[in-house]
Amino acid sequence: MNKVDVKLWKIPIPEKPPECRFDWTKERPERVERCKYFGNLKAVVIDKGICSHCGTCYICPVRGIVVEDKPIDFPNWRKDCIDCGACIRVCPRYDYTPLNGLGEYIEAVAGKSKRFKGQDGAMVSEFMAGALEMGIIDVALFVARDEEFKPYVVHITDPDQLKDERITGTKYSFASVMPELHDSIKHVRAVGIIGTPCMISGLRKLQKVVPLYKQKVKLAIGLFCTENFYHWQLKEFLEGRGIDLRKAVKTDIKKGNFIVTYDTGEEFSIPVKEMEEIVPDGCKVCQDFSAVEADASVGSVGSKKGFSSVLIRSETAKEIFEYLKEKDYIEVGEVKIDVIKRLCDYKVKIHPYPKG
Amino acid sequence: MVRIKVEKPKVHKSVALHIKAITTAFKEAISPGTITIHYPRERRKLPDNFRGLLQLDKEKCINCFRCAHICPANAIQMYQRENKYYPGIDYTKCILCHFCVDSCPTAALKPSKIHDVAFASLSTMVLPPEELAGEPEMWREDTVTVEYDFDGDLKMIKRKEVENLIVEVEKPKRPEFVAGAAFPENCIACRICVNSCPQNAITFKLQDLQTMVLEIDFEKCTGCMVCIRNCPTQTLLPFRREEVLKGGESDEQG
Amino acid sequence: MVDVSGIVSGIVEKIFAALTANMVNIPILEPLINKLLQIPLVNLVVAFILWKPAFVILFVPGLLAVTVVLLIMIWWERKLTARIQWRVGPKEVSRRTGGIIQTLADGMRYMFQEVIIHRDAHKLYFLQLPILSFIPVLLPILLIPAGTIYAIRSPYAIQIAVALTALLPIFILGIGWSANNRFAFIGTVREAFLYVAYEIPLMIAVLSMVLLYKSGDPFVIVEKQWIPGIFMNPIAFIAFLIGMVMAAGRLPFDISEADQEIAFGPFVEYSGIIFGLVMGIAYEKLYLLSLIAAILFFGGWSGPEIAFLGELSYAIWLFLKAFVLMGFIVMVRAIYGRYRLDQALKFGWSSLLTFSLIGFFISAGWVIWLG
Repeated sequence: MNKVDVKLWKIPIPEKPPECRFDWTKERPERVERCKYFGNLKAVVIDKGICSHCGTCYICPVRGIVVEDKPIDFPNWRKDCIDCGACIRVCPRYDYTPLNGLGEYIEAVAGKSKRFKGQDGAMVSEFMAGALEMGIIDVALFVARDEEFKPYVVHITDPDQLKDERITGTKYSFASVMPELHDSIKHVRAVGIIGTPCMISGLRKLQKVVPLYKQKVKLAIGLFCTENFYHWQLKEFLEGRGIDLRKAVKTDIKKGNFIVTYDTGEEFSIPVKEMEEIVPDGCKVCQDFSAVEADASVGSVGSKKGFSSVLIRSETAKEIFEYLKEKDYIEVGEVKIDVIKRLCDYKVKIHPYPKG
Repeated sequence: MVRIKVEKPKVHKSVALHIKAITTAFKEAISPGTITIHYPRERRKLPDNFRGLLQLDKEKCINCFRCAHICPANAIQMYQRENKYYPGIDYTKCILCHFCVDSCPTAALKPSKIHDVAFASLSTMVLPPEELAGEPEMWREDTVTVEYDFDGDLKMIKRKEVENLIVEVEKPKRPEFVAGAAFPENCIACRICVNSCPQNAITFKLQDLQTMVLEIDFEKCTGCMVCIRNCPTQTLLPFRREEVLKGGESDEQG
Repeated sequence: MVDVSGIVSGIVEKIFAALTANMVNIPILEPLINKLLQIPLVNLVVAFILWKPAFVILFVPGLLAVTVVLLIMIWWERKLTARIQWRVGPKEVSRRTGGIIQTLADGMRYMFQEVIIHRDAHKLYFLQLPILSFIPVLLPILLIPAGTIYAIRSPYAIQIAVALTALLPIFILGIGWSANNRFAFIGTVREAFLYVAYEIPLMIAVLSMVLLYKSGDPFVIVEKQWIPGIFMNPIAFIAFLIGMVMAAGRLPFDISEADQEIAFGPFVEYSGIIFGLVMGIAYEKLYLLSLIAAILFFGGWSGPEIAFLGELSYAIWLFLKAFVLMGFIVMVRAIYGRYRLDQALKFGWSSLLTFSLIGFFISAGWVIWLG
C-alpha cells in the first residue's frame, strides 16, 4: 500500500522573493588536466584505480555517467560531457584522505529485531521501519535481489514491505543506490538510504556541495564493510567453485570465510583470502570499515549470533533507537567494541593508502 | 411478490380523463410547444468559452511543451518544425478538456466553438501543427441563431444571423509565474536551464575561469517552467511575477 | 372459308358494347375519353379501365386509393405524432413539402433491398402468404360501392365484406408460423388471442347497424340515413371504432406487432419489398374498415355533388370520409400507450363486448319504435 502524499505535488514557492533580477554565481573546481571535467575525474580517480564505485557521480545532469555492473565510465565523454564539473565536486575519492577507525559515536549497542528476519539482527530494517513510522522519512531505498542474486533498488514506503526476505540481507555486490537517489530526489520529501562506507562518504560530500540532498536525505545508515564485489565477477568466481548463486538464499562473511547458504540448508564456505583476485581496486585502498560518517553503522562483528552491532553516531539515530526500545521492537544486547576496533585496524593494515 | 394496487377510477372520471387526453392531443397538434432546433439550418448560440476544436497560433508558440505535459489524455504530441517544436493533437484521444489552453503561457492555443466535426478516417484525426494552425474547412448551412430563454417559460429566441465560430477570447486573468533561483546554493553549474529556455531568458557568463554568473531576465521569462522541470537539483522554482516585480512578500502558496 | 376476322371483330364489338354500357361517367374527362375511344385497340383498354367493376378494383376504392392511403397515411401518422409530441418528424426528403414523399422514398428503398429468406423459414408460405393476404383486402372492395360505381350489388354486401376482412388474421397467423422465429411465434400467439376478443364486438356492432337499417345493402343503408348513423347509435359507433383500432393493430392495441417488445412480431424476418407488403397489411385493413364505418355511420357517399367529376364525386366523398376517420385513428397513437395483452383481452371481453351489446339493444329499440 503506497500512500500518495499530496504534499509532493505542491509547487513550493519560497517566501522571500529576491531582487528584481535573479543572478547567482557559482564557483567551479580547478582543472588538473586540460580537458573536460570528466576527463579530470577519469585521470585522477578511475584510471588510478581508486574509484570505489559508489555511484555519487551519477549526479551528472546529462546522465552520461554509466553506473552499472562494471567500472564507472562515460562513453563518448569528449562530445557529450557538458563540462559542469559536478562529478568531480561530489566524488569522495577525487580529493582522497582515507578515513579509518571507529570514528565518533554516541553509543555502541547490539540489537536484535523481533519483527524482521535479516542478515543477523535485522537492525537496518528495524531502523528504517522506525524512521518510516516516526515520519522522519517518507521513502527508504533498500536493495533487493533477483533470482540470480543480482541487487536492485526498491523504494520502501511501508514497514510491512520489509517482511520480504529478498529485501533484507546482505548481497555483497555493488548496487545502484546513489543513482536511484539522484533519480528520485526531486520527487521525494524525505528519504533514508543504506550504503557501504564509500556511499556514505559520497553522500556526505554531495550534501556539502548540493544542500538539496542535506535537506532531503534525513537518514543514512552505514554497513560494516571490508570489501564489495562486482556481481558478474562474484557469480563467475562462485561458479568456478561449483556454487550456484541462483539456489542461494543467503550470503555472509564470517571469521574470514565467505559463506553461501542454499535454500536446502546446504552451506558452502570459501576463505576470503582466496577471493583476493576479484576484489575491485577501489576497495583495496579503502580503510573505512565502520562507515565513520553515517548516522548509524550496523554490522554483525562484535556481537552474539543473531545480534547486530550498532554504532549510533547522530541524534536522529539515537532518537530512532530510543523509539524502537520504547515500542519493544528490539532486544538489546552487549557489544564487544574491541572486536570491531580490531577489524578496523585490520582493514587499515590490508588496505594501505597510498599504495606501496 | 408485492402486488401494487391501483385504485380504479370511477367511470365518469375515466371518461373525463380520456376526453382530456384527446383534447390535449388536438391542442398540441394545432399549436405544438416545440423547442426543437432544426440543426444544420439553425444553430444554438454557444458561449464564448465553449470547449470545441483547438487552434494553434504558430507565431506565439514558444515550444515550452506545457500543453503536451498537462494533457490528461496524452493526446498532444510535439512535432519538430525548423528547430522548433509545435503541438499536434490526436483527436482520437483528445477529451476536449482545454487544459492545454489554460496552461499555455502565451495563448498560442486558442479555443473555438466548432464542435460538429467529421473526419474521413482515423488517420486524419491526428492533426499535425500545420493543420491545427489554419481555419478548418467548414460548410455552414445555418442562417438562424437560436437562443433559449430560461426565464419563466422555456422559450426560443430566433435571430437571423450567422454566428462566428472562431472566437477571439481574452485570456482570463490568472497568476503569472516566472522562474527564479530559489536555492542558488544547490546549483551545480550544469547550464541545462540556459540551454533549455525557449525564450533565451537565462544567460550565463564566466567572470573568471573558476566563477560563472547565471542570470534570469524576467522581461523575457514567460513562466513556462521548462527550466524548473529540467533542473536536476531544484535550484529554480516558480515565483509569482507581480510579487517578484514588487519585491514584496508573497503570502499565498499555489 | 370462315370469315375469321369478321367473327373476331364481331366478338370484340360485343365486348366493347358490354364494357361501354357500364362505364364511369366523368364529365371533365369526356372529350379525352371520346377521342381515345375512336382509336382501335386503345379504345378497348380505355373502355375496360372505365368499366365500373374494373374501375372499382383499379382506382376508387381499389388499388390506387390503397396506394394513396399507404403513401400519405404513414407520412401523416409520423408527422402528426411528432407534432403532438413536440418533435419534427420526417422532413429532409423534399423539405418544402414537409417530407411528404418520405414514404415513397422508403418504398423505393424496400424495392431495392435484398429479400432475405432465412434457412429455418417455410420458404413457400413465407413468400406466398404476404401476397395472398391481398385477397381478403381486395375482395371486399368489390362489395363496397362508391355511389353508382360498384362491382357487385348484394343485400348481404356489408356482412360479406366484414367476414372477408376477418380472414386477414388467418394469413398473419400463417406468416408467423412460416417465419419460424420466436418473436414471430409470440406475436402470432398474441394475435390469435386478440382475434376473438375484438372480432366478436366488431361483428355485433356491424350487425346492430345492419339491424337498424334492416338491410346489408350499402345502397339501402345510405338511403336510410336521414341523419348519419353515428347519431342514431353512438354506442355501436364507439364499439366499432375501438374494435377497428384493435383489428387494424393500431397503437394502443398493436400488441401482436409491438416493435419495441418483440420487433414487429410475425413480420420480424421479412425484408425488402415483402416487408413493405406486410407492413401495408395493417393500413389496408384500417382502410377497409374505415370505408365500412363511413358507409355505416357517416352516410357513405352522400354529399353535395361536384358537377364536373360526375360519378367520381361520390367516390371522392366516400374516400374523404374514410380518410378523415383514419386520420383520427392514427392520431390515437400519440395519445395512449400500448396495453398489455391481458389488459387488452380483459377490455375486449368485458367492456367492449358490453358496449356492442348495448349498441345492439339500442338498434333493436330504434327498430321497434320506428316500426
